[in-house]
Amino acid sequence: MSNFTAEDKAAITGLWAKVNVEDAGGETLGRLLVVYPWTQRFFDSFGSLSSPSAIMGNPKVKAHGVKVLTSLGEAIKNLDDLKGTFGQLSELHCDKLHVDPENFRLLGNVLVTVLAVLHGKEFTPEVQASWQKMVAGVASALGSRYH
Amino acid sequence: MLSAQERAQIAQVWDLIAGHEAQFGAELLLRLFTVYPSTKGYFPHLSACQDAAQLLSHGQRMLAAVGAAVQHMDNLRAALSPLADLHALVLRVDPANFPLLIQCFQVVLASHLQDEYTVEMQAAWDKFLTGVAVVLTEKYR
Repeated sequence: MSNFTAEDKAAITGLWAKVNVEDAGGETLGRLLVVYPWTQRFFDSFGSLSSPSAIMGNPKVKAHGVKVLTSLGEAIKNLDDLKGTFGQLSELHCDKLHVDPENFRLLGNVLVTVLAVLHGKEFTPEVQASWQKMVAGVASALGSRYH
Repeated sequence: MLSAQERAQIAQVWDLIAGHEAQFGAELLLRLFTVYPSTKGYFPHLSACQDAAQLLSHGQRMLAAVGAAVQHMDNLRAALSPLADLHALVLRVDPANFPLLIQCFQVVLASHLQDEYTVEMQAAWDKFLTGVAVVLTEKYR
């Protein structure tokens, strides 16, 4: 499991404080659905996902993206216990939603690229490393109660 | 198979990088080594001292190969055949590492282009680089 150093935590919380979850949420989930179209399989009820602009403009995609990033924001307050934080969500994603945990890794990687878009040069290799550790930890925690 | 729009997106992004292969390539390698330390084993001379000049030199070589791939998007197999041989016979980089390099490539593009890095560009480049990786590992066995 990931051990976050003081530098990791500073990089993660520092950057997160500047993120507008309303904007970043839709951007992140939208990019996932466009770049990896097979992930659309979980969102049949979301209406039109027929083109990149349809996806990026879809209000359900935005709303769900915000939901996901809000949950991530909560996790950031609990970096030392991601498994505990995501325990119930792990069961939900396994038992009810049947989401292949590989999707968590894809979403995490897309989030990292969105953060790079937002922060440019500030998103240094070291900051990226902390965030890749973060999203890997979240993905692992979300998959931890699969059976 | 790349659509006409995807080819255009790929070329458009390349135009923004062309001329800066060394700088982008060096940053790519630096990110790779920083984020995924296990990859350093494939670059023993480079990663030990992380000498800027060597990173720039090797980065230039890698991005020049990407540039060649962009010029030959329709026929990657032929264009990258010598590199495919190199990876299969000499370098033998485990295929699991290519997605790591691609992720770092995406972050380099995203952090430099920022708002200009549209979702369509990201999708096209992910597809393209994945195709390059497939060709480079195709002769492994």
